[in-house]
Amino acid sequence: MSAIAAPALAAADDAPRTAQLGMWIFLGTEVLFFGGLFVAYAVGRAHWPHGFAVASRHTDVVLGTVNTAVLLTSSAIVAFAVACADHPAQRRWTALALWATAALGVVFLAIKGVEYAHEWSEHLFPLADFALTEPGAELFWVLYFVMTILHSVHLLIGIVGVAAFARATGAGKSWPTPGRVDTMALYWHFVDIVWIVLYPLLYLVERHA
Amino acid sequence: MKQTTLREHARVVVIAWAVLLALMLTSLGSAYLDLGAGNVVAGLVIAFVKSAIVLWLFMRLRKSSATVRIVAATALATLLILLALSGVDYATRTSEPAAFQSPRQAPSFVGGKPATQQTR
Amino acid sequence: MSSVSDVIVRPPSAPAPAPSPSYLEDGHTLRSWLTTHDHKRIAILYAISITVFFFIGGLAATVIRLELATPAGDLVSHDTYNKLFTAHGVIMVWLFLIPSIPSVFGNFLIPLMIGAKDLAFPRLNLLSWYLYVAGGAIVLAALALGGVDTGWTFYAPYATMFSNSWVALTLVGVFVVGFSSILTGLNFIVTVHTLRAPGLGWFKLPLFVWAHYATAIILVLATPVLAITTLLVVAERLLQIGVFDPAHGGDPLLFQHLFWFYSHPAVYIMVLPAMGVVSEIVPCFARKRIFGYRFMAYAILGIASIGFLVWGHHMFVSGQSLAASLVFSLLSFLVAVPSAIKVFNWTATLYKGSIRFDAPMLYALGFVGLFTIGGLTGLFVASLALDVHLTDTYFVVAHFHYIMVGGSVMAYFGALHFWWPKATGRMYPELWGRIAAVLIFVGFNLTFFPQFLLGLRGMPRRYHAYPPEFHQLHMASSMGAVVLALGYLLPLVYFAYSLRATCRTSANPFGALGLEWQTRSPPPTHNFDRPPTVPEHVYDYATPTKAEPARTPAAQATSP
Repeated sequence: MSAIAAPALAAADDAPRTAQLGMWIFLGTEVLFFGGLFVAYAVGRAHWPHGFAVASRHTDVVLGTVNTAVLLTSSAIVAFAVACADHPAQRRWTALALWATAALGVVFLAIKGVEYAHEWSEHLFPLADFALTEPGAELFWVLYFVMTILHSVHLLIGIVGVAAFARATGAGKSWPTPGRVDTMALYWHFVDIVWIVLYPLLYLVERHA
Repeated sequence: MKQTTLREHARVVVIAWAVLLALMLTSLGSAYLDLGAGNVVAGLVIAFVKSAIVLWLFMRLRKSSATVRIVAATALATLLILLALSGVDYATRTSEPAAFQSPRQAPSFVGGKPATQQTR
Repeated sequence: MSSVSDVIVRPPSAPAPAPSPSYLEDGHTLRSWLTTHDHKRIAILYAISITVFFFIGGLAATVIRLELATPAGDLVSHDTYNKLFTAHGVIMVWLFLIPSIPSVFGNFLIPLMIGAKDLAFPRLNLLSWYLYVAGGAIVLAALALGGVDTGWTFYAPYATMFSNSWVALTLVGVFVVGFSSILTGLNFIVTVHTLRAPGLGWFKLPLFVWAHYATAIILVLATPVLAITTLLVVAERLLQIGVFDPAHGGDPLLFQHLFWFYSHPAVYIMVLPAMGVVSEIVPCFARKRIFGYRFMAYAILGIASIGFLVWGHHMFVSGQSLAASLVFSLLSFLVAVPSAIKVFNWTATLYKGSIRFDAPMLYALGFVGLFTIGGLTGLFVASLALDVHLTDTYFVVAHFHYIMVGGSVMAYFGALHFWWPKATGRMYPELWGRIAAVLIFVGFNLTFFPQFLLGLRGMPRRYHAYPPEFHQLHMASSMGAVVLALGYLLPLVYFAYSLRATCRTSANPFGALGLEWQTRSPPPTHNFDRPPTVPEHVYDYATPTKAEPARTPAAQATSP
């Protein structure tokens, strides 16, 4: 007989593990969400290698590379924030690191905005006056905008979230537990990973021509 | 002890960050070399390595439970299934590109009513 | 020796003094319901909303069958007809079938079955319901504004470029409902991983929980692909940028790959929970352990995984390459194997059982038979050569209705009857329950069997007019639909009747096993007054000491 009468509930103690698992599953859904776009990109590039190459050369590789560095740095900083969060004595550092992360996210969006402005003036938006006539080039730019806009929306959500954590940590509130900071950071890292994959796909198709 | 651990953490983070930036520059540089099909391979492989670093070190996948690792692997595997099986179709289907047309074929509309015809 | 003598069955003559109110009595205001975190109340909220959508979708089906009763397209115009079958499909798939068993019974029962107080994320659960209602409202708004005529499958280029209907708005609604699904799936997975009672290992879980766990995995992996696909269609429609338009380098078949990558696993979202329900009902009413428990669990996982590999069988004639079609055809045959294993095991469970034909059992048995027919006919359409003839005919329509209606909806009704006493503390009138089950079974077969024959003879789907030689079969089908509708309406009446105080019942009127039966009917808000006892074997019905299901006097006297 293995009748066990222990109470079932461990949820309260196990909140960090629960939240972490929940966030990882959510990130898994995001992989599939962006994944559909990667499929569309793969199909497009397989069909129009030359068109994608021509189109990609019109992206701003300098700003794109700077942005990649910005996000990589922000990931490092938020990882540092998570490490600090484990040490209550380092609360100020945690808050600072979180603010820095959010700030870098804003920098990314600002640079992206500059890129979009340039691309608008160069008629690279896939509208009536699209500038490139190479077959497949327009498809590239459609995917470019859909992917980067979707990524930016996710980044914006991350910025708001991280900023909220930063503010609460700085104010000494109790709700940003180390587990929750870690959960938020997981989301931020994921947004970074999406960009890590987008960077070569969008900016580095064929720069040697 | 705790202080040391924090410093240890910070060290790992800084090293990972440096490696990531180096990989990024490698990826950038490789795009300027004519490697043919190797360009896309290099780009994707480097992206994969960078993602692995972020997953393993920043997202602490190495310290996470088996369940979490399975979640990450399953999501990736599902995406690969989507790519692979649709790839079977695309790899074996000959497509004749449609005549390329700049002007849009159909007018823009929302809901049930066509807007005024747009000529481009 | 049984360990399940620990099962608590309260004798009706000595009701336990309730130390705390049941979840139904714990707050009477509308606000307490709309702001609840209690998974049981959320399940009731879902039950009410999906019932509303079921009848709206059913209304569309009624008009469709009325139109098809005669060869001429004389009841509605072809445009209206297109909007009707689209509405029927969109509502029945996304607003009824996908949420039905998981969001009602999964929500209600999973915490009870694993001995937990609630799901892992109770507030997320409430958010799921609100997203569902919001998405449903958006879809209804699109209907009211004029509807959509693309079919629930929204194929490019018609949906993206040429349809003059409310495509974008409908897809926004679908997108929102999709998020509801994703959050529910996420909740279930974390719950099953982290909140099981001590001692409740994976292979002691009821198959209902296994089924919902696998369903939740499909929900979180497949639905996001639908989400991005709907976004792309809306973008192509509104902004005229798109990846599905060949004139701009795109591929319309890409839409189908992305759409069916979700929509095929979606049918397993619809059928796996139903299988879980059947696996709970059959052992109880055969008084016998489920045959091959581990194989049943592995088969569930097998269906969920192989189900992701077969989507191209919806695209055999759409221009997909022959090589890909062959691969998908082979994989589709493979996915039938775990389903067949489950059918064999349910049947083996019945062998030498002590079978009672109570209403839940009638539905469960109906499921097994009708799912078998639906599954076998799936093999027909999975064969490339046959599919060239059968695709887009009524054969396919009959095939999927046998599984989704003959299968999933019957299981939903079986679940309604089986767990109604647990959720409400009332017993429905058994005679009427059986009558409704028989009516539904007979009506269903009358409606949909002729459609196999119609399809074989070439009757295309989505046509509102047809040549006179198909008239008799269509007429039979439409008459069957009348019987079916009657069968669906009956439970509304007698379930409502059963809510009267005189129909009170005990904690475990069916003598069922499972932790949910160890608590009161209806349960207290926190689920268990005392921690439940985890049994040695999850379906330990096969011991003589098990009392025959003792129906309470109150329950027995409820024939009106």
